[in-house]
Amino acid sequence: MKGNSLAVGLVVLAVVFLVLAGLYYEGVIQIFVSDPHAQHHTTHAILFSVLAIASLIGANFARAKRTV
Amino acid sequence: MGLLQGATELFPVSSLGHAVLIPSLLHWSFKQSDPSFVPFLVLLHLGTAGALLIVYRTQWVEIIRGFFTAAVRGRIEGPSERLAMLLLVGTIPAGILGVFFENQLKSLFASPKAAASFLVVNGVLMLGFEVLRRRAEARVAPAAKSRIEQEESFATAEQISFKAAALVGACQALALLPGISRSGVTIGGGLIAGLRHQEAARFSFLLATPIIGAAGVLEIPQLLSSSVPLAEYVAAAVLAGVAAYLSARFLLRYFRSGRLDPYGWYCAAAGAVSLALLTFRP
Repeated sequence: MKGNSLAVGLVVLAVVFLVLAGLYYEGVIQIFVSDPHAQHHTTHAILFSVLAIASLIGANFARAKRTV
Repeated sequence: MGLLQGATELFPVSSLGHAVLIPSLLHWSFKQSDPSFVPFLVLLHLGTAGALLIVYRTQWVEIIRGFFTAAVRGRIEGPSERLAMLLLVGTIPAGILGVFFENQLKSLFASPKAAASFLVVNGVLMLGFEVLRRRAEARVAPAAKSRIEQEESFATAEQISFKAAALVGACQALALLPGISRSGVTIGGGLIAGLRHQEAARFSFLLATPIIGAAGVLEIPQLLSSSVPLAEYVAAAVLAGVAAYLSARFLLRYFRSGRLDPYGWYCAAAGAVSLALLTFRP
């Protein structure tokens, strides 16, 4: 049960990270960026995409642990 | 400059600190504020990342394969899979801190005097890591007959905990301060986590490759769009790569039994002398 909740939490986190990645890429979010006038914040978008992938991997680990 | 960057990137003596200090001390003609300086550094970093990929080419194939296998399966079964996940966990803290705070930190501390001061701090850190390590050696391997035997009492990179990998990764972020060495603090973090010196260096180099490579690749569009002497810069990147390759080979051999002490003393002395020259020279 604990593993299941963790897996769901991590999937939700992954979705949040993906949304943030999209918003940074589109230049909607300007927090902690070196050039606020830039059209795309690619580095931030890539970072949040990597965090989303890491969260999904973590969710898969938590799910697999629960089913063992 | 290419040789200097390639050699100092992997030696625990801070490449950024040297890149800020040496041109200033030797009155080299280019300035860090020059628009062509960032693309130049980017190419040098790509040279270094390329050299590290060549040094660890077979390991990277296993790590990448292990990463996808473990990620899809949701379970770690082999040492390569564990190492892949440890590298992911170690890369995240440095990535977050680097992306959000790199520009602020670099603009705050990019002066030669700040770099010299942090070089002294880097030296003290290296010496401090070794003091802690010697205490651990006295506890873990009091009866060891040689340095090699003493080192074998400690762990390999695949054996450290995920918490320790995250800690070593977070140490990497300290290298955003010019004068603090990325390899120095990650090797030191690895030593505190209980790694052998050689394994701490291996983990540090493996951890550095994606960050250095990604930083370089991300800046390529800027490089291609600016009017820089590309052939000259590529030659410098190749030199940086050759120097990094030789440095990595030397350091992995050195750390079989060697310690961080000489680098610590060098950084403390070089930082202090540079600080004195920058303060008192007209």
